[in-house]
Amino acid sequence: MNSGTVAGLWLRLLLLPLLHSRFTQQELPACKPILTPQWVISAFAVVSIIFVPIGVASLLASRDVVEIVYRYDSDCVPASWASDKLAYIQNPNISKTCTRTLTVPKRMKSPIYVYYQLDNFYQNHRRYVKSRNDWQLRDASKANDTSGCDPEDAAGGNPIVPCGLIAWSLFNDTYRFTVSNSNLPVNKKGISWKSDRDHKFGKDVYPRNFQNGTVIGGAKLNSSIPLSEQEDLIVWMRTAALPTFRKLYGKIEVDLQANQTITVTIENYYNTYEFGGKKKLVLSTASWLGGKNDFLGLAYLIVGGLCFFLAAVFTIIYLVKPRKLGDPTYLSWNRNPGGH
Amino acid sequence: MRGAWGRRARGQTVRLGGERDGSSGRGGLTQAPSQTVRLGRVQPQAPGHRTIYCNDRDANLPVKFKGNSISTTKYNLLTFLPKGLFEQFRRVANLYFLMISILSTTPISPVHPITNVVPLSLVLLVSLVKEAFEDWKRMLNDRVINSTSVEVLQDDRWESIPWKKLQVGDVVRIKQDTFFPADLLFLASSNPDGVCYTETANLDGETNLKIRKALERTWDYLLPEKAAEFKGEIECEQPNNSLYTFTGNLIIQKQTLPLSPNQILLRGCSLRNTEYIVGAVIFTGHETKVMMNSMNVPSKRSTLERKLDKLILALFGALFCMCLIGAIGSGVFIDRKYFYLGLKGKVEQQFNPGNKFVVAILTMFTLITLYSTIIPISLYVSIEMIKFIQSTQFINKDLHMYHAESNTAALSRTSNLNEELGQVEYIFSDKTGTLTRNLMEFFKCSIGGVTYGNGITEIEKGRAQRNGLKINGDPSSTGPVHEKGFNFDDPRLMRGAWRNENNPDICKEFFRCLAICHTVLPEGDESPEKITYQAASPDEAALVTAAKNFGFFFYRRTPTLIKVRESHVERMGKIDDISYEILNVLEFNSTRKRQSVVCRYPNGRLVLYCKGADTVIYERLGDSNTDIKKVTREHLELFGSSGLRTLCLAYRELSPELYENWNEKFIQAKSSLRDREKKLDEIAELIEKDLILIGCTAIEDKLQEGVPTCIETLARAGIKIWVLTGDKLETAINIAYACNLINNHMKQFIISSETDEIREVEDRGDQVEIARYIREFVKQQLNKCLEEAENFMNTVPIPKTALIIDGKCLMYALDPSLRGKLLKLSLNCDAVVCCRVSPLQKAQVTSLVKKGAKKITLSIGDGANDVSMIQAAHVGVGISGLEGMQAVMASDFAIAQFRFLTDLLLVHGRWSYLRLCKVVTYFFYKNLTFTLTQFWFTFQTGFSGQRFYDDWFQSLYNVIFTALPVIFVGLFDKDVSASLSKKYPELYKEGMRNMFFKWRVVAVWAFFSVYQSLIFYYFTTSASRRGHNLSGKIFGLWDISTMAFTCVVVTVNLRLLLACNSITKWHYFSVGGSILAWFLFIFLYSGIMTSWDRQENIFFVIYVLMSTFYFYLTFLLVPVVALLGDFAYLGLQRWFSPYDYQIVQEMHRHEPEPTTRPELLEIGNLLTPDEARSYAISQLPRETSKHTGFAFDSPGYESFFALQQGVIAPQKAWDVVRRASMRSHAKTNKPKP
Repeated sequence: MNSGTVAGLWLRLLLLPLLHSRFTQQELPACKPILTPQWVISAFAVVSIIFVPIGVASLLASRDVVEIVYRYDSDCVPASWASDKLAYIQNPNISKTCTRTLTVPKRMKSPIYVYYQLDNFYQNHRRYVKSRNDWQLRDASKANDTSGCDPEDAAGGNPIVPCGLIAWSLFNDTYRFTVSNSNLPVNKKGISWKSDRDHKFGKDVYPRNFQNGTVIGGAKLNSSIPLSEQEDLIVWMRTAALPTFRKLYGKIEVDLQANQTITVTIENYYNTYEFGGKKKLVLSTASWLGGKNDFLGLAYLIVGGLCFFLAAVFTIIYLVKPRKLGDPTYLSWNRNPGGH
Repeated sequence: MRGAWGRRARGQTVRLGGERDGSSGRGGLTQAPSQTVRLGRVQPQAPGHRTIYCNDRDANLPVKFKGNSISTTKYNLLTFLPKGLFEQFRRVANLYFLMISILSTTPISPVHPITNVVPLSLVLLVSLVKEAFEDWKRMLNDRVINSTSVEVLQDDRWESIPWKKLQVGDVVRIKQDTFFPADLLFLASSNPDGVCYTETANLDGETNLKIRKALERTWDYLLPEKAAEFKGEIECEQPNNSLYTFTGNLIIQKQTLPLSPNQILLRGCSLRNTEYIVGAVIFTGHETKVMMNSMNVPSKRSTLERKLDKLILALFGALFCMCLIGAIGSGVFIDRKYFYLGLKGKVEQQFNPGNKFVVAILTMFTLITLYSTIIPISLYVSIEMIKFIQSTQFINKDLHMYHAESNTAALSRTSNLNEELGQVEYIFSDKTGTLTRNLMEFFKCSIGGVTYGNGITEIEKGRAQRNGLKINGDPSSTGPVHEKGFNFDDPRLMRGAWRNENNPDICKEFFRCLAICHTVLPEGDESPEKITYQAASPDEAALVTAAKNFGFFFYRRTPTLIKVRESHVERMGKIDDISYEILNVLEFNSTRKRQSVVCRYPNGRLVLYCKGADTVIYERLGDSNTDIKKVTREHLELFGSSGLRTLCLAYRELSPELYENWNEKFIQAKSSLRDREKKLDEIAELIEKDLILIGCTAIEDKLQEGVPTCIETLARAGIKIWVLTGDKLETAINIAYACNLINNHMKQFIISSETDEIREVEDRGDQVEIARYIREFVKQQLNKCLEEAENFMNTVPIPKTALIIDGKCLMYALDPSLRGKLLKLSLNCDAVVCCRVSPLQKAQVTSLVKKGAKKITLSIGDGANDVSMIQAAHVGVGISGLEGMQAVMASDFAIAQFRFLTDLLLVHGRWSYLRLCKVVTYFFYKNLTFTLTQFWFTFQTGFSGQRFYDDWFQSLYNVIFTALPVIFVGLFDKDVSASLSKKYPELYKEGMRNMFFKWRVVAVWAFFSVYQSLIFYYFTTSASRRGHNLSGKIFGLWDISTMAFTCVVVTVNLRLLLACNSITKWHYFSVGGSILAWFLFIFLYSGIMTSWDRQENIFFVIYVLMSTFYFYLTFLLVPVVALLGDFAYLGLQRWFSPYDYQIVQEMHRHEPEPTTRPELLEIGNLLTPDEARSYAISQLPRETSKHTGFAFDSPGYESFFALQQGVIAPQKAWDVVRRASMRSHAKTNKPKP
């Protein structure tokens, strides 16, 4: 071998990283997990060990939450109108005020959140979701930009701000609470996400020409308050994912004691009767996990339990009907020799 | 025309001896009609002929011949986009997405166009970049070729011009070792005798030099002054693609001279051993024969891909159903009562409650755009990429398939069929050069009825061992003279001892025949030790080498003479140089199966020497010497059963009158323009008769290394191996024994036409009668064997069976009426040997199994005679060996040794299949899961077709968030290591049974897809109903969809890890990277708000989400629950019905991966293993283009040799017989209802 080839060889050796050869020879170092029964059982066991406590914690958190749910949509319609609720709600001359009392089942620590819950209301319908104009909401100079807002884009030839079906159908029931004849204030500030307030709704955009059309869809807006402070609207316009949804109405920043009675005065304006939707008033405290929702806790518990069960079953199977790992007699050609 | 040597007939390698390409010697029974097997496009001969005025550009001008500039590019700057896009949109998936993209620009669409445009354009971009890159390389190559300079005659001087400026009729000068720029008429050479040597390796891979000889009349036009005077007219055929034929005339000074391929120098060949030559340009550029051969072959598609099409179709079906459900739902749902939807006034048609039918129809389209992700758009691109890397990086560079001696690595010529290699059930193998080495050694001979040569072949040894005998003595240790091509042990013939034998005269003729009758070229020093012989087939070289060792040393060849140095002829020790004048050479071709030379001794004696296949020679023998004939026939059989290739030698004395008479006819035939080949064959018949038998030779062709083991391994893998050979029955059976294909425990069914009854009928000579008789015979035999085989099936254990059938019987058995029986019988047999079959029959047998049994077939062969078979099979494998490159050119994969088939199939094929199955099913799963979450959402949106995910999520899902890991799985996943794959060949059966891409497997994936999507949708939404932290605020649609998407991306990526058999760091990188990419994307995307944001944007959602416990709890819960099902299923499946590979994994779970290190090179010992490996890899042949100098580097060149096969053969006796048999068949059938 002459020096030239040696030099060439070393050059090549330097130039060819090791990876390259391992790559082409398909011998990259690899870990080869085998799903042995032990692995399966321990995986299930680990999952159950982790999940059950989380489930218990979540469930406790959820159970901690005190929630009062009161459905008022039919309750608040006078008996005389019961057969034609739609006419009742559409008749502007009838008083819609409705007073009811609620009893606090357990002590509710402030803040107590007031929600309204709607049913069968498809905020996620395609026609509904797209019926808004984010530029217009954000920027005062784009008041004329009502694209996508059809059919609620203009009234009397002037653009509507905020335009679109979502804003037009803004929820307009109101609630007032009194406890032992003293007014229970509802704080309506800070009920929307900060990012929405700060970035999606302009500080200098004011409602204009709103609800001036032939059909009034819902709430009217105070045209002297900029959109960024119209929190009811902001909450309403973060469209819900499902046809049954809750929206935050306000906060009661006083503790309520068990068995206290709260008088609620509901101004029942919003028309859910036409499409057969339900309306509910919800008073709820919050835990670290949020509102009362057993789902996560139950899911964790059930999955944890299921995993425990599976681990047990697998263990039993493993003990009753063990399969020796890597037993050549299991190879298909050993099981039925000559067979195809 | 004298001296027509050096030319090879029609791409058939001269292969004398044992390999008989036909069944009988009637000179014609070989070529059945070619329509049964499609062998490629035969270009119609353009009518008329062209006239070229040499050295006169003006005269040629009106005809407008094409220029010499070539372009192999598919596109140019202008056509690239339209044409490239057109090519892309021929793919259904791409077209579908184009339509969806167009649809998504309409208001009907719930999604922004980017959702579909982005993935489509990314996919198109990748494909187009690849196309452009390939075309760019081709363009550069073309440019280099076009601007190569060539010397052309201008004004009495040689001027250098680039190739592209060359025109038809130009006179050019070509120097040594340069390529011919166009197809040239050879005028003059710097060599005396007007010959030149060309290398045709670029055309056919044969490295031996070919001689071309100019017409004597043009020898003088060598110097520029003289050449300028050359004003010839060439009348020749129109450009065509037949490499080995040429007909034309040169009209020079009113004299018409016939031209043959012998005067034609083809573009793509190079000049060797000649200082320079002068030639006239005949065909230029794309009209050259080599360019006309570069055509596109319809590429083979793998079975898996065809099955994939069905899967895609099923997906379309699912898509339709989903859309239909949604559409009906939307019609039912829409109602004016939902006042908040603003449906009371004038409403667009899609939501108009007044016409629910239209609503449903339009929603259908809406949903199609929404659910378009169910069709995996990037699947094809990913598969292509995976397969490309598999073949270029893994198969081509595998050290296990690297043959150090010949410095040949495996070559995957197409990347379409990698996974097909994992499902092969039938292998059709050629014998010579495939199972054997094709290193021919003169081993034995029979002269005048006496056998010589004491060696024992390996096959005899093997047979003796089977019978329990031990062979003593290693023959290579004692006496035999051994050099390349000669391994002969018998002192009776060596060093002049033959003079003392009984018949020294016959011996003399024998040796002279060996020394004279051939087309070998001597090269190098003219001494017996140093000379090398250039022969087209190793048989020929072996025979000439044998003559040399017997003292008849052929050392020089001129166009008219063969010079032989003869020792011990007159008396012991005397050495004479004798020149034999070669008058005619009647060449070998596969129809003739013989070769003759007419020579004149210095003393004027005229002799015709002939050598050829025994059947052919025996038919042409004179009546005398019946004893010798009989004895020699016995010897032939003896040699044959020892696995030797035999060849008969004969001669004939010619009287001068007889010869002159014949020669006239011969010259006439040679100069005819039409059917020259056929006429020459006919003329040859006139003189090749009344021959006198001299004897026969026996050449050993040793088994290739590792063949028996390889065959045994493949048999254990459940692959059935059929050997299709031109050899005699005995030879074939013995070879089959030697390479473990047949053993004594096997029940053999032999269907042979070598019975006395058939001979008797044949002797009567009535073709129709023969045909009918053999047909009946074959039918009987088939029925009998079938019955027996079926009986065997009922016994326990089922004995292994083997079928041996010869070509003639096969011919009748392949008849449509018997085909079914043959198929049934052969499918029941573990091994099948077909002997004495023609190339076409090989192909017929292959397609019989391919179409009849619907199994995946692989053909492997090395020679031109295997080309048809290689192309007929699903997978064609060529042996890049000694016999030229024809087989390789037609093949899909080329390997150097038969034994590498184990690696190719059991390792690469199996892995490829496994990986692609995984990739395809995974793609199916991930897109279905994703789309189904949308589907569930549709139910809760009033079937309005509202999208669940943001547009960008949906568009990047396929191309970014889930794209890379699956490619790594396609590249790296392996169930068991390469060595275990070979140790347990039975694992291969899983591929054969298509265990990993059955509908059942797909159904399991689909089931878990549905399960997971339900989990994704309902868990994320159910968990989100209330407030999520102490602030009591509520989520909107986009918060929840982002949550769900996060879970989908994480789960789908983790699911892939769960499916992996081996996890490398690349898996971690890619899976981790994909998940990370999603988070990076969403942090950025939702973090910034720009003025061109779309409506309903997802501003800040991820930050909102991540401020709640809901996010973390769901993020832990959902992927775990989603994967729980798969995990339990995988655990149970492994536990209760483990796949074989899983058992093997378990058996070897504690062993570290064996790093296999083939000891390739001595240098390896000095280095660390890794360095040695790197070095070995660096030694692998680089991917340099061997085709510089001529444009042939287009992917279309794969099967140009098939064209030669496709040339329509003249009507042969077989056709007559066949028609006759069909008639009789029809007649006999008629009375039946």
